[in-house]
Amino acid sequence: METALLGTPTRAKSIERIVFWLFRLATYFVLLCAAAIFADIFYKGGKTVFQSAFPFVNVAFLTESPQTLHVFEHAGQKYELSDSAFRIFKEEQGVSIVSETYAYSGGGIWPCIVGTVLLVVGAMLIALTLGVLSAIFLSEYSRPGKTLNAVRLSILNLAGVPSIVFGIFGMGMFVLAFGWNVSLIAGWFTLAFMVLPIVISASEESMRAIPQGLRDASLALGATKWTSIRTNVLPYAMPGILTSSIIGVARVAGETAPIMFTAAYALRDQLPWQGLERWYDFFFQGVMALPYHIYVVSAKIPQNEYTSRMQYGTAFVFLFIVAGITLISILLRIRMRKKYRW
Amino acid sequence: MSDREPEDRYDLSSRRKSFLGLTKESALKGLFGGNAFVSIVVLGLITFFLFKEGFGFFGQYREDLTIYRKSGLEYVELMREEQNALSALNRYLNSIRTLQSEQLTESGLEFSDVKAVLRKDEDFFYDFEDLAFPLREHILEASEVVATARDSYEEMLDLQEHRQNLINAGRQSEANSFEITEIDLGQMFELVKSKEGDFNAINRHLEEEIPALLERAPIYDDPDLNSRMNRFKELATLFLSEIPVYEERIVLWNREDAISIGESFTSFIFGKKWVTNSSIQNWYGIVPLFSGSLLVAMIAMFFAVPFGVGAAVYVNQVARPLEQNLIKPFIEFISAIPSVVIGFFGIAVFGTLIRNMSGWDSMEWVNFFPLSERLTGFTAGCLLALMAIPTIFTLAEDALNNVPIAFKEASMALGSTKLQTIIRIIVPTALSGIISAVLLGFGRVIGETMVVLLCAGNRIEIPQFTEGIGVFFEPVHTMTGIIAQELGEVVNGSLHYRALFVVGLTLFLISLLINYFAQKIVLKFQISRG
Repeated sequence: METALLGTPTRAKSIERIVFWLFRLATYFVLLCAAAIFADIFYKGGKTVFQSAFPFVNVAFLTESPQTLHVFEHAGQKYELSDSAFRIFKEEQGVSIVSETYAYSGGGIWPCIVGTVLLVVGAMLIALTLGVLSAIFLSEYSRPGKTLNAVRLSILNLAGVPSIVFGIFGMGMFVLAFGWNVSLIAGWFTLAFMVLPIVISASEESMRAIPQGLRDASLALGATKWTSIRTNVLPYAMPGILTSSIIGVARVAGETAPIMFTAAYALRDQLPWQGLERWYDFFFQGVMALPYHIYVVSAKIPQNEYTSRMQYGTAFVFLFIVAGITLISILLRIRMRKKYRW
Repeated sequence: MSDREPEDRYDLSSRRKSFLGLTKESALKGLFGGNAFVSIVVLGLITFFLFKEGFGFFGQYREDLTIYRKSGLEYVELMREEQNALSALNRYLNSIRTLQSEQLTESGLEFSDVKAVLRKDEDFFYDFEDLAFPLREHILEASEVVATARDSYEEMLDLQEHRQNLINAGRQSEANSFEITEIDLGQMFELVKSKEGDFNAINRHLEEEIPALLERAPIYDDPDLNSRMNRFKELATLFLSEIPVYEERIVLWNREDAISIGESFTSFIFGKKWVTNSSIQNWYGIVPLFSGSLLVAMIAMFFAVPFGVGAAVYVNQVARPLEQNLIKPFIEFISAIPSVVIGFFGIAVFGTLIRNMSGWDSMEWVNFFPLSERLTGFTAGCLLALMAIPTIFTLAEDALNNVPIAFKEASMALGSTKLQTIIRIIVPTALSGIISAVLLGFGRVIGETMVVLLCAGNRIEIPQFTEGIGVFFEPVHTMTGIIAQELGEVVNGSLHYRALFVVGLTLFLISLLINYFAQKIVLKFQISRG
């Protein structure tokens, strides 16, 4: 002990320092790995999405449909044109041109963005309505007991079920048994049921965290049950519900497996609102979606420099959207935590 | 209803108003209750639907296996085993010859000279190859007969079903209009069975010829080649001694043995083959997929547990507050990276990186390097580890956070260092929480689809666990991957479709089991905070 007092580290102290450094390295290694993925995708994807000239964003990439890319040389110049531009070019020049073609490598990803937004909005509408209202019932109206505990436990367990299981369920139930085929509505319900357990349990949790005293005080003042819920439970539970729903949005937007067979098309010429015969055909059409598009372009077609541009661009946009949503939820939670404390 | 209510919540009279005999209160309660009911029914329905579609599989698989037996395909496959053993012998023999030619080329001989040396004992090799010929012919012929019989039998069953549907729909005349040729599987099989004598004759021929041929086996100058040739002789003798076994199996095989539902169940659970779109027989055995899933998950957990738990300990116990506030959200943020993006990263960058690294000179000491495959279980496992780390980190950090501060203070007061406190007091106290964190991380890894679909290599074979560490660098296929890959192309209600449902059901049960244990462990070992 004397040496320790004199400032020479003891054996235990030196071991401690080494071990702590190991922990530190492990932690920063994880951060580094994640940062490497972000950097790779943002750097290479940025080249596709942004450009050096005005308007700095590659508008064509964000607003066009995916097309075949034609690469050819004409009059001593090298051209890279997407299918539609290639046809116009051919007519203008009035010559037949032999070109190398690369599937999916031209054009942009507008239909995928539209499809993803549609899927997320519809699925979250269903999941939030069902989920929040169910959570209010479970937390405020239901009688505590074995049944309630069993229900809670099974909902919690379902939250951990792999997304592909919901995918195979959606395929069997909505696509085949209900005969909806590969459609928006089948995708909505599949995704909604996938996040439903998460929304219910998170919303219920945030409602149950509110001290009973608030409810009792309100009831003691003569408020009805609903009034006391409306004025004394929901406002304080809102942050929690909001965070859980944003996490739900990120999950719905990010999952590929559930929509592979229920809602996503590899390629579709028309946008969802084009060419509808009847208004309700809107619900019964498949759409393109960003995550499925990434899967298709990275697994189903041969790799080369032209497809790689498309892949990274899509991954960039997709990661940007999902990470953005998640970032909002994390920031929101940190702010809300500071706001309400008891 | 509620729209008509005045907004003033102090208006006491509003409570008395009712619509259709319901007060606003009970109407609202009904609304919430109704929603809760719908949610629970829906979630129950998922479970029910999976079970319903899944259980249909076993009955159907049993019928399929029964046809396999009745048509005699199984009988032919038994004979084929002998043929496979003989082919394996032939391959071994050829490998000796290839080795010899390589050795000769390396020793600097001209191509023509190499050929001349090889030609010296080519008779032996060709004669051995010819020995396999009659057996192959015999089996090919038999297999064609029974496969055709099976196909026409299944066609007949389809037609019968179609006719029955027509009759049920009341379209009697239409039903009678087409004829169904009756197929007697037994009769067709008799054609094959009657030639069993031929099979035995071929075997006698083999038993006679092989020993005679082995006498003529060439003797090499090179000791390596010689030892290989001796090994070949051993193997050939072993093969000879097994011929009676093959024959006996065929005699013991009984076409009339019924296949029980239990047999169809075990051939799924313990089946070592997952073969679809085969012209002979489709097999649905989950073992290759399950072992693949397990292998990938093991690799992922090998990395994720030390890093996840280590980071949790560091952030919770060692890091300064500023570090804490930065690292925690960042690791949570990792879980936001969509799996398909990670999978894409694996294909585009990580897989190639691993393969290139395995080619480095400094890596030569590893005997299975350099790798030939870019996408292996290892590639997928590493990426999955990154996905499991946020789950493990968040939950383990929570568990560490829940350890009462008094524990730590008491330990420090007794003079232990910070590290001793962490190892002896804090981690053991939080152990139940950490274990359940690891379990839930495992659940996440086993259920992950896109990363394994994109990066695991998708080869449906049981990993060769005998190869030691090398097994981790083989391409594998997983339960989640097979669903994602094959569900798009199956016919509704077919055996294959139902098989995929059973795989989904297995995943469902595994994840429920993991969740259940994770919760149990937390509850059981919860520390009392008195």
